[in-house]
Amino acid sequence: MISIGKALIVDDEPHVRKYIGLVLRSIGVTTLVEAANGVEGFAAYQREKPDLVLLDVNMPVQDGLETLRQIRAFDPEASVVMLTSLTTRQTVETAVDQGALHYIRKDTPRDELIALLKQLLSENPDTEESN
Amino acid sequence: MPPITEEPDLVDLKGRKILLVDDDRLNLRILRGMLKGEGYELTEADSSEAALDLYEEFQPDLVLLDVLLPGMSGFDACRELRKRHGTQTAPVIFITAKQEAESVVEGFTAGGVDYIMKPFRQKEVVARIRTHLQIRRLMSQQRALAEQLGRANAAKNKFLGMAAHDLRNPLASIRGLAEFLRDGTVGPLTPDQLELLDLIYQASQGMVTLVNDLLDVATIESGELKLEISPVALDELIEKSVALNGMEAARKNTRILFTRPASTPALSIDAAKIKQVVDNLLSNATKYSPPGSTVRVALCSLADGASTITVRDEGPGIPEGERDKLFKDFGRLSVQPTGGEKSTGLGLAICRKIVEAHRGTIVAENLPSRGCEFRVTLPVPTS
Repeated sequence: MISIGKALIVDDEPHVRKYIGLVLRSIGVTTLVEAANGVEGFAAYQREKPDLVLLDVNMPVQDGLETLRQIRAFDPEASVVMLTSLTTRQTVETAVDQGALHYIRKDTPRDELIALLKQLLSENPDTEESN
Repeated sequence: MPPITEEPDLVDLKGRKILLVDDDRLNLRILRGMLKGEGYELTEADSSEAALDLYEEFQPDLVLLDVLLPGMSGFDACRELRKRHGTQTAPVIFITAKQEAESVVEGFTAGGVDYIMKPFRQKEVVARIRTHLQIRRLMSQQRALAEQLGRANAAKNKFLGMAAHDLRNPLASIRGLAEFLRDGTVGPLTPDQLELLDLIYQASQGMVTLVNDLLDVATIESGELKLEISPVALDELIEKSVALNGMEAARKNTRILFTRPASTPALSIDAAKIKQVVDNLLSNATKYSPPGSTVRVALCSLADGASTITVRDEGPGIPEGERDKLFKDFGRLSVQPTGGEKSTGLGLAICRKIVEAHRGTIVAENLPSRGCEFRVTLPVPTS
C-alpha cells in the first residue's frame, strides 16, 4: 500500500470527486480534500499542502492548466496528476511540460484506474515517502 | 439548417441568360427571332475577344459560339473559357456550317457540349438550348444539395460527438460508484440490493461502451481521426490484447492461442488504434465462441514487409447474405453472442475505418469447417 496522507481532488463534477475519492481511499489515501474549480483548488493547495493533487482540465472559473501553473509556481515539488475526459494530446503535453506527473482519463475502468495510480505513485519518489 | 431545395422545375427556364457570338449580324438576328418566345435574356458579341470580356460581365447560363470568327477562333475562345472557369463554365454550343462537319469533333475536344448547324432549324435550336440549360440547372442544384448534405452531416457528427462526450464522464462515475457499493467499500448490502446494483453496473458498463463507440464513429466521420504513428512491435501489442481478452474468454471456458512468427520487424502504426482493432476482433471472437472452443490469433510478415493479423474462431460464422452488413455502422448480424454479451454494432465499422486510415485492409471469411476468420493486413508505410 502506498502511503499518501493527503490528496486534493479538483473537479467541478461532484460525482467525479466522489468516485476519484473512493479510488484514492482504496489505495491507501487517508485524508481527502475537494475543490470545485481552479481558484478553490489553488487556495486549498496553499492551505492544506496535500501530498498529491488530482486536477481536472476543463473547469469553470479557472481551468486546470492555469491552476497547475499556480500550484507548481507556489511549490515546485508538487505532485499533480491531470484528470482528463478526452485525451487531447496537446493539453496533456502542455500539462506534462509544466510539471504534471501524468494524466488519467476519468472514464478508465475502476480496476485499471487503481492499478495506474498505484504504479504512478510508486514510481514517483516525491510521493513514495511515508507522511 | 436551410431546408432542402425544392424540386427542380424542368419547364420554366425564363430569364436564363444566353450569350450569342457570331460575326454575321444576319445569323444573330435569325437566332434572336427563333428564341423570342422562350423568355431568355440575350446578349451579343461579334468576336471571341468581345465574347470573353462580355462573359465576365454578363455571366451567361449558356453560350452559342460561332466557330469561324475573325481573330481568335470559337474553339480557342471555348478553351479559354474552360481554362478560366473550369467545370463551372457555362455550356458552349458551337455554331457550324454543314460543310464544317469535321469541326464537330474538334468542338467537343475544345470543351463544347453540343453544336447546331447552319442553316438553323428553329425546333432544333430551341430544343438543344433547352436541354443544356436544364442540365446546367440540375447540376448546380445537385452541387448545392451535396454541399447542404455535407454541412448537415458535419453538424450531425459534431452533435453526436458532443452528446457522447458529455455522457461519458457521468456514466463512468455511475459505473465506478456502483462498483464501490457492490464491493461493500461503504458498508454491507443485502442480496436484493446487490442484485439491483449488479444491474446498474451492467447497464452503465454497456452504455460506456456504446458511448465510446459513438464517439469513435463521430471522430472518424468528421475526419478528425489523427493517427499517432510510431514504430511498434506488433507481436507485443497482440500479446497484451490476448492477455486482456483471455480473462473474459476464460470465463466462458474459451482459450485464446497466439502464434507469433520467429521475428517481427517493428511496424509504423498508431499503437493505441491498432490495439483497439485487435481488442475488438478478439472480444468479438470470444463473444461468438461456443464454450470450450479456441480462438486462434496469428501474426505473419509478408515478403513485401506487410503484416497480417488473423483471428479465427469456432463460432457460427457469418450468416450468408449478411456479409455486406459486417463492416457497416450499426450492422448487427442475426447471430447471437453465446454468453448474452451486448453488441453496439459499431465495433467492426470502427475497425475498418482505423485499418483503412493505415491504408490496410480488413476482410472476413467463413472457414470450411466452422467459425470464421478475420484478416487485417497492414502495409509498410509509404513515406
